[in-house]
Amino acid sequence: MQPDLVERLTAIVGPSHVVRDPAELTSYQYDGSADRALPDAVVFPADAEQVRLIVEACREFECPFVARGAGTGLSGGALAEAGGVLIVTSRLRHILELDVANRLAVVEPGVVNAHVSEAAKPYGLHFVPDPSSQGACSIGGNVAENSGGLHCLAYGVTAHHVLGCEVVTPDGDLVWLGGKRYDEPGYDLLGVFVGSEGTLGIATKVAVKLTPLRRTRHTLLASFTTPDDASRAVSEIIASGVVPAALEMMDGLSVRTIEDFVHAGLPVQAGAVLLVDVEDLPIAAAQTAAHVRTVCERAGADEVRQARTEQEAHRLWLGRKSAFGAMGRLSASYYVADGVIPRTKLPQVLGEVARIGERYGLRIANVFHAGDGNLHPLIAFDDRTPGEYERTVAAAADILRACVRAGGSITGEHGVGVEKRDCMTLQFSPADLALMSRLKAAFNPDGLCNPGKIFPTSRRCGESARIASRGGIAPDTARAAGAAF
Amino acid sequence: MAREKLKTPFLPPVDDPQVRTGVRPLVRPEDCRTFAVAGVVPQIVSSFRSLADASAWIKTLTNEGASVVIRGAGTKQWRPPAPPAVDAVLDTTRWAGIVDYEPADLTVTVRSGTRLRDLQTALHAHRQFFPVDPPFAERATVGGVLGAACNGALRQRYGSLRDNVLGMRVCLSDGTLAHAGSKVVKSVAGYDIHKLFVGAHGTLGLIGEVTLRLAPWPAHQHTLCAAFDTPGTACEALAGFDRRALFPMASVLLDPAAAQRVRSLPPRGACWSLVVRCGGASAAAAAELRDEVAAACRESGARNFSDHDWDGTQSVWADIAELAGGEMYPAESWLSARVSCLPADVPEACLRLEALCPGAELTAHPFTGTIFAAAPVVGEPEADPVQRAARLEEECRKAGWALAYLAAPQHLAGLLRQPVPQGAPVSLMRRVKAALDPSGTFNPGVFLAGI
Repeated sequence: MQPDLVERLTAIVGPSHVVRDPAELTSYQYDGSADRALPDAVVFPADAEQVRLIVEACREFECPFVARGAGTGLSGGALAEAGGVLIVTSRLRHILELDVANRLAVVEPGVVNAHVSEAAKPYGLHFVPDPSSQGACSIGGNVAENSGGLHCLAYGVTAHHVLGCEVVTPDGDLVWLGGKRYDEPGYDLLGVFVGSEGTLGIATKVAVKLTPLRRTRHTLLASFTTPDDASRAVSEIIASGVVPAALEMMDGLSVRTIEDFVHAGLPVQAGAVLLVDVEDLPIAAAQTAAHVRTVCERAGADEVRQARTEQEAHRLWLGRKSAFGAMGRLSASYYVADGVIPRTKLPQVLGEVARIGERYGLRIANVFHAGDGNLHPLIAFDDRTPGEYERTVAAAADILRACVRAGGSITGEHGVGVEKRDCMTLQFSPADLALMSRLKAAFNPDGLCNPGKIFPTSRRCGESARIASRGGIAPDTARAAGAAF
Repeated sequence: MAREKLKTPFLPPVDDPQVRTGVRPLVRPEDCRTFAVAGVVPQIVSSFRSLADASAWIKTLTNEGASVVIRGAGTKQWRPPAPPAVDAVLDTTRWAGIVDYEPADLTVTVRSGTRLRDLQTALHAHRQFFPVDPPFAERATVGGVLGAACNGALRQRYGSLRDNVLGMRVCLSDGTLAHAGSKVVKSVAGYDIHKLFVGAHGTLGLIGEVTLRLAPWPAHQHTLCAAFDTPGTACEALAGFDRRALFPMASVLLDPAAAQRVRSLPPRGACWSLVVRCGGASAAAAAELRDEVAAACRESGARNFSDHDWDGTQSVWADIAELAGGEMYPAESWLSARVSCLPADVPEACLRLEALCPGAELTAHPFTGTIFAAAPVVGEPEADPVQRAARLEEECRKAGWALAYLAAPQHLAGLLRQPVPQGAPVSLMRRVKAALDPSGTFNPGVFLAGI
């Protein structure tokens, strides 16, 4: 990296906010994915203007730059894939406005997701998107990845809850896409910016919608003999006109692993378990809960339990939320896939996932957002066994193929990033990808902003990008993934 | 500016509905007048029955340097400014029908020329709907509603149109057929380019097919109409909804004149009416919400109520949808505009708009801060409405409200430009337009800032 650029960066953010030390840089080569890439420098800007100046400097020196929030992403979106400058938003962590009358907040991108809801709670409001990493992940990262969460079934993903973003464009302009109001005239650039994985610019302020907290919540747990029965219940709940706040499935292997780990009181003999939240006014919530119970029983549930206290509900959800952590007991490492399928195809694709596991000789547990059809097959593997990681990646690719064949998507909420860029061709034709690169060029003409993401390379989907000699997945990566499913 | 005639030969008009391939002129050249866009008559009007045909035809027109206006039912043609010239109109109404509908997935894929009403009828058979209530509800096509981003009052409960579009197949001016998004309710693969087409007014390309996220139809619905002395007290009731965590399907605020146009509402005199649509899966659930809404209204000083069951609800909301720059205010004699402000500014904005535009009628969606204003312009000397529009633009700019013209009479449509809000990322928009439609084929010059 040119010394002149380092000097410029140092002048912009101050010497204590630039990292150049090789040993220190290595801790920024990871995010929550299995991939890694070493940046040449890490900078910590204090405000939007500093971000703009950094981008301007990088452009001048033709140096790639990548924005990074908390580093909890699961697809390598925040990796400095081509080296260059990593712009970390951890100092941009102020809630600038909390406007109760207009149900909105303006926050800096480094604000932790859960902190927005905590700040809004005294006013009976919250920020809806709740990825499981919400205690750590940043709003800027949520915007980049268009994050989902347990409750996006009924209430939508990040894109539905962002009104506007102040953005440093890749050519160094500072503009607002959208705003605090609805219906900003002109093209809906915000719509395409949210979920663009940091390739179209860097958000420096985010105006988010706040939503009143629901009054009544009921949590139900239904256990089934087979995942097929549970899948049928999912389809029937949705088809009957009920959209629960959350509708999650855990298969038998997951249930037993989790129960061993957290003792949440899950039925260990079950073939599959559904965890359902219904939220509404008191009468409506009670009726919906009763309806869900009836549908589950009709679909062959062995048992339907309704949490009687908030603590009991909390304990059941804790089981679900500990799933990835618990998987550590099953094997040294695991790999999470993120395919989406039409809900009606659940039984068929779950069957395929099981057969893929058998074919590769890998154990696969399923803990996922069943209501959305968003699968999260967890493939257990041991990095010390030669070739097992490569087989795991190949199995994950086969799972994505099955999802696309069923009419679905290769990623529901984790993003494409580095991890799935070579699988984009499963879902998109060359013409589709060409359209995307035309759009990218309109925002990011010289390609310096977060290069190497989303678009396929010459590798095939399922070919491991990782060089075997680099060794196993670092424990900190596994921990990050554990919190961030 | 005089334009050369298109070289493309006119093919014989198609009267035979059995003819299923090829792009053909829809009408004889002499009948093109019927398909005029804000009075500007195209040289050729064609329809298509496959996207491959549409693509070939668009490519031909682009190579000729033609300007192409995509047209559904023609309900938004009066949006100012009028196009400087229209070479070709591409009519989508024969590109209609449901491609794929799996009720248990709550998604549908539909061709853009499908009438929204026909789509809703098909969905209602499965107790589902596409949750939007735009103006021109009886005539508008799905593609037109999306292209013009006609968000209705249902946005309060169900989100914006673009949030309910999951994927799209589009045709660009070079004939490229591409898809963006997916057919499932959740996907973050690739750029969400389909969202750019929502509200692009046909300036980026042809929307071919769209996959939509559906919602269960609330089996039980009530509409509550409460009368308030001022828009301010009515909006206080909305703050009460938040405090009570109420999620009605829609709320609109009507000034006295607009309220009189809603046939099923009782006469209210000089009051402002807050009309709230409450839905529930059961009668008890719908009644529970209605009672809470009524209590919040009463706390804020509502004077009296009318409560409408399902039949009333249907008729009230059919009329209310047409107040948003729709059938209630024909473009021959009304100038319709949309003012967007923060929700808390709605009362003040309403009062300011009434003072600025005498005779204007206001319909607000207070939850989102959207105000639809219609002002009569018939019988006035031409300069008057233009001056008034300039004053309105200036006031909105000063207050930080976004103004968009929705429809104007022909003589005005040529004089008005869509106001560009301060700080709007216009250069980025130009680059997006140039990236997707480098030849400037689609609907040139009428969008924003000359795009």
